[in-house]
Amino acid sequence: MENIKKLSPVVFKARPVKTEVRDNQTVVLEYVGEELGPYLTDLSHKIRWDVQDSNLDAIKPWGIAIPETPGLSVLENGFLINRMNRTQASVWHLAGEKPDDPDDSAYTETTDATMFVALTGRETFAIAEKLTSLDFAVPDKKAPFLLQGPIAHVPCQIVTLAQNGEHCGLLFTCSRGYAQSMIGAILEAGEEFGLRPAGETAFNKFLTQ
Amino acid sequence: MALTITCPICGKRNGYEFRFGGEEKGPRPAEHELNPETWCDYVHNNNCAAGVQNEWWFHRDGCGSWFTIFRNTLTNLEVDGPEETNE
Repeated sequence: MENIKKLSPVVFKARPVKTEVRDNQTVVLEYVGEELGPYLTDLSHKIRWDVQDSNLDAIKPWGIAIPETPGLSVLENGFLINRMNRTQASVWHLAGEKPDDPDDSAYTETTDATMFVALTGRETFAIAEKLTSLDFAVPDKKAPFLLQGPIAHVPCQIVTLAQNGEHCGLLFTCSRGYAQSMIGAILEAGEEFGLRPAGETAFNKFLTQ
Repeated sequence: MALTITCPICGKRNGYEFRFGGEEKGPRPAEHELNPETWCDYVHNNNCAAGVQNEWWFHRDGCGSWFTIFRNTLTNLEVDGPEETNE
């Protein structure tokens, strides 16, 4: 029996140099001419869940406590956990081996329902400013933290991963159907800053810095 | 963009991120004494205050919360509620 081939909702025009097939999906590790950032990286293959429960504080995804306050995030053991509101949190698996599926009805896997990209590099916030009125570089908040609001008029979950001079990065998700329009809008906004598509390796380097 | 709304989770945001949810009309009428007139009044009749009114909003493009604010319908600006004003 043939496996079903999964396709990312995000397609870049750049030519891949290194790829890897993972979970029936081709993941691009590097594109031609990546050079220096800023980078836009497709992470739609990374597994994501929503967790919803009236007693969210009692749930510990993979042993990690969900932040108590909406808007706070925690990055631990390759998992990014974002508190959305009183009853909901999102869990994004960013690094490490593929985790086992959680055996709890509070979890809903959202990987195939949304697109997921990273915008990294020194000019990250300058690019984001052209796409939304949201302020991702809030000085009184310590990264990582979550904002929920529109980018290019599309409702998104956005996490500021780093806001430290050269080391700046945003992660965001939105409904899968908006993917190509969003990618077009982001690349157009980032053109003057030299924004280019990058593979997963560039993001992994960013994450380990 | 005149109207900004303060979401209890996300803070002050552009009014276009929200959906209006109607006037705050208090608790739903009790079922046991409910008649069509009372129900119709609760569902359809509004005060349409020319001034400050308490109303529901939904953060459609953000966190998905339902909450109430006070808004001056004459200026279309969010204002403090009676509790905050009395403090």
